Amino acid sequence: MRQNPVLQQIQNNMAPGAYTAHGFLGDDQRNLIDILKNDEQIVAKLGVTHEQIASKMRELTLMGIKTPDVPVIVQGKYEVLVDDHRGFIPCPFADNVSEIKRNTRVRNLDSNDSVYWSDLNIHMIEQHGFYEGIGSSFRNDPTTLFQVLGMSINNNLKK
Amino acid sequence: MEILITIISVSGIATLLAILIVLADKFLNNYGQCNISINDGDKKLVVQGGQSLLSSLGEQKIYIPSACGGKATCGLCKVKVINGAGPLLPTEEPFLTKQERLDGVRLSCQVKIKNDISIVIPEEYFSIKQYKATVMKITDKTHDIKEFSFRLDDPNTIDFKAGQYMQIETKPYGKIKEKAIRAYSISSSPSDKNHIELIVRRVQGGVCTTYMHDYLKVGDQVTLTGPQGDFYRRDDSQSYIFMAGGSGLAPIKSIVMDIIEKKLDKEMYFFFGAVTKKDLYYIDYFTQLEKDYPKFHYIPALSGPLPEDNWKGEVGLVTNVMLQHIKDGSTMHAYLCGSPGMINACINVLTGVSFREEKIFYDKF
Repeated sequence: MRQNPVLQQIQNNMAPGAYTAHGFLGDDQRNLIDILKNDEQIVAKLGVTHEQIASKMRELTLMGIKTPDVPVIVQGKYEVLVDDHRGFIPCPFADNVSEIKRNTRVRNLDSNDSVYWSDLNIHMIEQHGFYEGIGSSFRNDPTTLFQVLGMSINNNLKK
Repeated sequence: MEILITIISVSGIATLLAILIVLADKFLNNYGQCNISINDGDKKLVVQGGQSLLSSLGEQKIYIPSACGGKATCGLCKVKVINGAGPLLPTEEPFLTKQERLDGVRLSCQVKIKNDISIVIPEEYFSIKQYKATVMKITDKTHDIKEFSFRLDDPNTIDFKAGQYMQIETKPYGKIKEKAIRAYSISSSPSDKNHIELIVRRVQGGVCTTYMHDYLKVGDQVTLTGPQGDFYRRDDSQSYIFMAGGSGLAPIKSIVMDIIEKKLDKEMYFFFGAVTKKDLYYIDYFTQLEKDYPKFHYIPALSGPLPEDNWKGEVGLVTNVMLQHIKDGSTMHAYLCGSPGMINACINVLTGVSFREEKIFYDKF
């Protein structure tokens, strides 16, 4: 789908070297509008919202912050490891938000599956419904997040 | 079909307007020559308007500390503006306290010079220089940390305080078309005035650390700017504790070397936190220092040693290990360098054992 110049400029911000070395889009050749729409549909099918996914991610990050660089078991279900680096990274959506360079790795103790995100990922999912392009090292497929984080369907949304 | 035509038309008009705005800004907003008055007129500059204050000062060889090179992501390039800066931008707000806003402090990378402007900057900024340097040696220190040794070419000598940092400018590489600027602490001793060493930990997706780890080679020429920063040893204490993790070892090594070379009679405790043994480096160096200098104590601590590490040293969070050794910090200075999470955890613990907050030093980037 053709996208407006504003989204195109945002997509330019997501190119390698603009804000990060590898960018936000990976090998994804689609327009940003298509990436957003596709993930929007996946999230709707899962019966949750971007905000709910982001909220769960933030909850686990906050649990891991208490012991930086040291894995912690949370709620008996997850192993959470948070590390951070100096500096900030601006949001490519040019909304004047900069997040600290903090990463969270979560392993589901039942399935042994892992997911990995940055604080910026949480913000972009919550505010922009953006999970990064396919092939991006920080891409988090909504279905994978849903499963690894053990989220349940919001029945109110399913109706 | 009509919807598609509408979308294309609207997009086309919007694109045209965006181009017009860019052209108008380029050709109509000619601000001409503007005056920059520094420190109550002690220094006066004439610059071409239209650039950021940070860039304009840089062109006049006045280098304001910055770790991000003008992207408003580090918040380091603060200057006090007496007048002429225009309104505060949303990009500046996250980095300024209420008091700083009242005092007229601004991020110089976000202030565009459109008219005469009057600013106040610390005197030491005038001694920051730009250096051409050559990479002499690159050493793997751990699986994700490298040490870079540079020979200074032009100018070929530097005076810095142990603990300060330098900025390095990357060149375009791979898909990266623009240069980037980042700050790294100096790990070498101030007594070597012709070389500096930097220790850099790889950040996944980091523009500059990727360049340094994967593209920078021995013999390459680089541009360095510095020295900068107020993280350096203060002399009004007889005992120090140093706490670091990862590449945070760099300035601590420089400070310890400086104290020992100057034969200062100081008690020093160096706590270095890591997860497993593969995250430790410079172990032999600091272990030998501990043997040679009775007042230097080296305490590496692993939070998650592996069985194969066969680790006989301290185990646990570096903050908890520190508490086993230091009971009263009321007369001590603390120097912290590491990730923001580690620094915050250290500050909480240190204030709990009577360290005075004004005697806890760390880099805020």
